[in-house]
Amino acid sequence: MTDWRGLTFAPGDLDSAFVSVVYSLIALPIIAVLGTPLAWWLARRDFRGKPVLDALLLLPLLTPPLAFGILLASLYGPYGGAGLLLGRLGLVLTNTAPAFVLAQVYGAMPYYVVTARAAFEGVPRELEEIALTLGKERWQVFLEVSLKLARLGLAAGLALAWVRALGEFGIVLIIAYFPHGIPVQLWVNLQDNGLDSVYPLLWLFFLLAMPLPLWLGMVSRRRGIF
Amino acid sequence: MEIDYRLAQPLRIEARLTVAGFTVLAGASGEGKTSLLKAIAGLLPAEGTPYEGLPPQRRPIGYLPQGYGLFPHLRAWENVAFPLAGRHRRRAGALALMERLGIAGLAERYPDALSGGQQQRVALARALARGPELLLLDEPTSALDPATRDAVLGELIEEIRRIGLPTLAVTHDVQLAAMADRMALMVGRRIVQEGTPHQVFAAPMNRRAARLLGYRNLFAGSVRAVADGLAAVAAGPFALTARAPAWVGPGMKVGIAIRSEDIALAPETDGVARNDMNALAVTLTTIREEGLAFRVLAHGSIALDILLPRRTEAGTLRVGATALARVWPEHVHLFRDEE
Repeated sequence: MTDWRGLTFAPGDLDSAFVSVVYSLIALPIIAVLGTPLAWWLARRDFRGKPVLDALLLLPLLTPPLAFGILLASLYGPYGGAGLLLGRLGLVLTNTAPAFVLAQVYGAMPYYVVTARAAFEGVPRELEEIALTLGKERWQVFLEVSLKLARLGLAAGLALAWVRALGEFGIVLIIAYFPHGIPVQLWVNLQDNGLDSVYPLLWLFFLLAMPLPLWLGMVSRRRGIF
Repeated sequence: MEIDYRLAQPLRIEARLTVAGFTVLAGASGEGKTSLLKAIAGLLPAEGTPYEGLPPQRRPIGYLPQGYGLFPHLRAWENVAFPLAGRHRRRAGALALMERLGIAGLAERYPDALSGGQQQRVALARALARGPELLLLDEPTSALDPATRDAVLGELIEEIRRIGLPTLAVTHDVQLAAMADRMALMVGRRIVQEGTPHQVFAAPMNRRAARLLGYRNLFAGSVRAVADGLAAVAAGPFALTARAPAWVGPGMKVGIAIRSEDIALAPETDGVARNDMNALAVTLTTIREEGLAFRVLAHGSIALDILLPRRTEAGTLRVGATALARVWPEHVHLFRDEE
């Protein structure tokens, strides 16, 4: 168990914490910016092929992360179709920072979209219609009514996505083993130094992961913040 | 203002009516009244004037749905300020409007801390903030407490008259129509009748309109003779005299409508004779207290539904008793019988 007096980090632990937090903080806005309109669109529009899109969205949730990582590697890896094209543009999507963020976005975004979609579906259509009759444009209605009434669910979705992004292991292991984030570093510690070397980093992980979901929950429940 | 709208979806509806002052469109549930309002507001696809082709945000209307549709995440004044622009002018503008409607004291409350009547006022203030030229109210009585309903509505109608904004309210409640400046009846998803409440209540166009207006005694009959503005009609074996509308002529098949409260009962001994005008010998079959009044079902040559005021001596009311039912000729309404 943890030796609290002689708590020492293994080499690379602090670097991995930095990598995890900074890259997750980059991935989260990407997830929000891409996922929010997608979730709203899925909640409010009916179109042909919607079930296909639903299935595509569920696929990353259902696929074991390791297998999903392998699929992504075959697409974005140095020999994959997209990887070859991007490589020509100088963007390498294996074992780089962009690869790490990409892995997090793929792993965490479906959780956000599924939650956010349910949140938007819970917003009474009537209130959006009323806002239109009060002279607001559709984008204003989205910002001033839909987004605000869905805020509890959106915050829950973001909290889920944050936790998923920070904890992403399977996909990262395949396409972004380097730079090490906390989950990979935990694995490396376990392999190299045994079980005891895992705990200090695990405590640090909890400490870093906890504040954002707590804060999101608190802020979204407070009334009159807008 | 002339409204002329045609909808194909979700219901096929045709509505053409004049809105002047506080106008009520009454119709049974399922007539598509809400759909009509939404179409005028631009929220449902429809053809018609005015505003055809404009998106909802460009139509100068104020729409109050059932339950009022206040934004739950905004305080009362923020709801009213919703359509207003300008960071600082918004609050002043909203408070001025709320002052005018006597609800400035509610400004800081959230909608869930307001009564039905207060929510209605806030929603009205919000609709007015948009500067509409037509106000649309969907079932304005539905979210009100029955005890204060009439008072709250009376004030609402007075307020709307003071502002001078043409208003179309739809309802299944004909009592609301009775308080209006103008009314229209919707039957079979079209407007069958419009005019002042007095005109419409006194001359239902057909059987369904009469039923909607609260007439319970509806018979088929035929006209025997017309003379001196009076028509002699026969409802089966019951011979009645009615005030004759202009269109009526001898031999015509007509519908006859009599309100329950327009029928009086008298003991046969009171010097009232069986062959007096519009007198029918009946036997009382059911007597039920209805609030402070008595609902009496009586059978003679035809069955009558009678509502007696509470000043009736209850002692004279007894199941099995015989009496004479009477009604004034001006209270016997004739309509063209479509059946």
